[in-house]
Amino acid sequence: MTKGIVADIERSSLHDGPGIRTVVFLKGCPLRCEWCHNPECIKKEPQTLFYSEKCIGCGKCEEGCFSGAKIICGKEMTTDEVMKMVLLDKSYYAEDGGLTISGGEPLMQGEFTLSLAKAAKEHGIHTAIETSLALYDSEVLSSFDLIMFDLKLPDDERHRKYTGIDAKIVKDNILKCSELGIPMLARTPVVIGVNADAETISEISDFLKKVPNVYKYELLPYHPLGTVKQKALGISVRKFEIPTKSLMEELNNYAFIR
Amino acid sequence: MLSYADRIASMRETKIRHTLEKRTQNGFTDLDDFGTVPLSEGYEVLPYYNSENGSFYGAAAMAENFCRVLDAHEAYVDPMEMLCGRWRDMLVNYRGDIHYMPDWMKKNEKLRNFVAGDVTAQWSKRWDEKRFPYDDLKPLQKLYNIQTGIDGDAHFACDYSIGLELGFGGFLDKIEKYRTINKGKDEFYDAEEKCVRAMIRFIDRHIAKIDELLSKEKRPEIADSLGKMLKCCKNVRTDAPKNFHEACQWVSFFNCFSRIYTRDGAGFQLDTVLLPYYENDVKNGVLDDETAKFLIANLLLIDPHYYQLSGVDAQDKDITNHLSYLVLEAADMINISCNLTVRYHKNCDQEFFKEAVKYLFKNKNGWPRFCGDAALLDGYMKNGVSKEIARERIAVGCNWMCVPGREFPMNDTVKINIAKVMEVALAELKTKKERSLARLKEIYQKHLKKAVEVTAAGINLHLDHIADVTPELIMNLMFRGSLEKGEDASRCAELYTVGVDGAGLAVVADSFAAIEERVEKQKLLSWDELFDALDNDFADERIRLILSSCAKYCSGEGCADNHAKWLTESFADAVRVQEMPYGRVLVPGWFSWARTIEYGKAVGATPNGRKAGEPISHGANPNPHFRQDGAVTAQSNGIAAVQLGYGNTAPLQIEFDPKISASEGGIEAVMSLVKGHFERGGTLININVLDSEKLLAAADNPDLYPDLVVRVTGFTAYFASLSPEFRQLVIDRFLEGM
Ligand code: SF4
Ligand code: SF4
Repeated sequence: MTKGIVADIERSSLHDGPGIRTVVFLKGCPLRCEWCHNPECIKKEPQTLFYSEKCIGCGKCEEGCFSGAKIICGKEMTTDEVMKMVLLDKSYYAEDGGLTISGGEPLMQGEFTLSLAKAAKEHGIHTAIETSLALYDSEVLSSFDLIMFDLKLPDDERHRKYTGIDAKIVKDNILKCSELGIPMLARTPVVIGVNADAETISEISDFLKKVPNVYKYELLPYHPLGTVKQKALGISVRKFEIPTKSLMEELNNYAFIR
Repeated sequence: MLSYADRIASMRETKIRHTLEKRTQNGFTDLDDFGTVPLSEGYEVLPYYNSENGSFYGAAAMAENFCRVLDAHEAYVDPMEMLCGRWRDMLVNYRGDIHYMPDWMKKNEKLRNFVAGDVTAQWSKRWDEKRFPYDDLKPLQKLYNIQTGIDGDAHFACDYSIGLELGFGGFLDKIEKYRTINKGKDEFYDAEEKCVRAMIRFIDRHIAKIDELLSKEKRPEIADSLGKMLKCCKNVRTDAPKNFHEACQWVSFFNCFSRIYTRDGAGFQLDTVLLPYYENDVKNGVLDDETAKFLIANLLLIDPHYYQLSGVDAQDKDITNHLSYLVLEAADMINISCNLTVRYHKNCDQEFFKEAVKYLFKNKNGWPRFCGDAALLDGYMKNGVSKEIARERIAVGCNWMCVPGREFPMNDTVKINIAKVMEVALAELKTKKERSLARLKEIYQKHLKKAVEVTAAGINLHLDHIADVTPELIMNLMFRGSLEKGEDASRCAELYTVGVDGAGLAVVADSFAAIEERVEKQKLLSWDELFDALDNDFADERIRLILSSCAKYCSGEGCADNHAKWLTESFADAVRVQEMPYGRVLVPGWFSWARTIEYGKAVGATPNGRKAGEPISHGANPNPHFRQDGAVTAQSNGIAAVQLGYGNTAPLQIEFDPKISASEGGIEAVMSLVKGHFERGGTLININVLDSEKLLAAADNPDLYPDLVVRVTGFTAYFASLSPEFRQLVIDRFLEGM
């Protein structure tokens, strides 16, 4: 039985693909985005998060923490165990809702991701993946009904600076992925000081327009939720400004649906 | 020239002004809005008392006081509207019950002294304890924190088709006819007649008032409208309504009367009862859809009664029609606190269903809500009711259903706080040497049985004597067999399917789960430590957290969901085995109504980590923080699995900000949720699609949003009118779903 390291399973999500979905967050990511919204998903190994404000100072950490102050993120689960959770909500998926595999980068756990997608298919459940496309695996990717991916910056230099790898790698993977013939939804997290200007976004948009399978390009405003988790992980926190409504409106001119 | 839209805007403004004025007069209320208007200047009623404990009972006294209150009601005519008549006060205020007394009455010293001068130890003087005492039942009622239903509002539905066919004059004729047949029932018929005559006087005052306004009205379109209103009132004064306008006006008047009498009464299947009038008028070219919508909007404004829409007939054929759509559009126009229920069945018009969901998003005003036809029907038929009659049962209350004109169910008035029953069981277990969850469950069942027995005794007392205490003089007029036999509805109903609701499901399920996990399996706590912690109200926070951090009911993980199922089965069994006389049947449900705070105050600390006095869980809902993600699907599954299965509900109540617009798939998502819940056997869904910014701003300053409506339990209420404590609960529940 295939196993993987699961960070979390979120049910009733309305924001990770169409319809009502169950989102399985897998651990492990090759990128290091400075604004990462799921920093607990970067390392593949289980990690302890410490939320100091919840600690009651009972001093009995060894006997287990029940206050929610110390939380272990990352649990080894089998495909069946995950599917049991996914199937709980089968009545609500209808045609468009279903399972989304997210992370981290699901392709870091390609075999597990593939087995989950296949298992969901067997139950007639729609499948989607949220990937950075920093990695590429045609077998895994082609087992999904929808591919949601990010293009965070258009040029190698800045992409390397803010995520750790060249944009070219991602762009090449996007083009390869498009050949699979699966609908692709592109997204850019809008981060002030990184990519929140018309020039950058329009450049990304221009590139994406040339990718035949990309049916939609949307912009997501940066959310500082990740910083709370960074703090809990004890890693250095970098907080960005939240984009204003008017800025998002302006940049949304470059978003498209076709 | 004023358009319908202008007039609606003005009506909404008036409504908002009234909400604020009423709050000044009545204080905070955790009740439905009911569509009342503020009391007029100088309004005063001196009640007639026929009981030495300072209250009034029986047909003659009820009729006398109904006439006094109704006669004191000034006519209410707003030229912007097409319908007139509004209620302001109700009889129960005069029953010497300080607990029920609105602020305005408490402020009026003369009246307060008169009404409550002789405050007895009796909690409520709505019941004639002198003649029908139940001191023997009280200790156990108190022990198990039972809401007895004794003296409760009737909570049933009358059959509007009877009244619409007869009119007020027809009622008088019918009373006369049967008075001669049923000799010796003069007190009953006299009382009925007296009430109907007061109703006609009320209409006459409106006719005079309209006349007066009409003579001064300069705006031609409003003069025209007032002219029509005048003609309409003259026609329905005694005659049966003949067209759509008259039918709406007739219903509005009747609703005022039933509300004033006991605040009760219930609506009807709006899109079928009014359909013949609509179709006939359209055929005759005297009604267009814009006017029909305006009239319906006006009807909804006058009284936010529970009305049902859509559904299927006894052959499972869809009954949705054009009028169903118009009602939704009308509700959208007026967009106030509406209590519209859309019946969902797989054969129903799916377009209409989608349309209904759209309004949840569009107005974010908590309407409509949805009931699951399949589970309700199958369940109700288990009481030995035919499919034809079971299909007639409609959603006409917070959580409850009723067959109009045939059923006398005491719905939503009888509740057993099972958290309290568990507390009693725990106390007994503490005295035993052998302690286990299995033993606790046995003891719980023993006490539950006792609780049901004493509840049943209370129900029987109520049903045996309510006709002598608070006969249903108004609703009798439209109840099958009542005038015909000279009997109160409580004595001549075809069905006595009496609802008995359990409250506190999640508290008990989570408590059992915490005991199983932490005490029995993991042995993190001993029984003694658990009992100590309960006694000292969790002086050690770590112990509380050990217990409260267990997987909860509705989480889909751990054992709490199984305990909830066990509790459901045991509650249903306990209620169903209870023998009842005279064809009465007890029907189990899970519903706390808005009493979670009050019930919580009666219960000490519980093993799920809930501190003494904190509110108990709401209806069949899970406890707060039941899952990190607050997944509505998880909640839906959990609640669908605890349906009691005899035709009464265990509602799914969700407040959420989907952070997704209708056009981005929000509508489809909610449709999937509703369908999914009903596919799994759910019975009723109350959804509040909220606007988080608005709600949080309103929490800080409710007066900024006098028009903000939230669904409190099954009913909707103005957020600004809720007590601060209740507002906080609504907000907490809402933040949970974020
Ligand atoms: S790709 Fe996603 S998970 Fe990976 S570092 Fe970037 S934001 Fe974080
Ligand atoms: S067990 Fe948890 S609450 Fe207690 S001291 Fe450790 S981290 Fe804090």
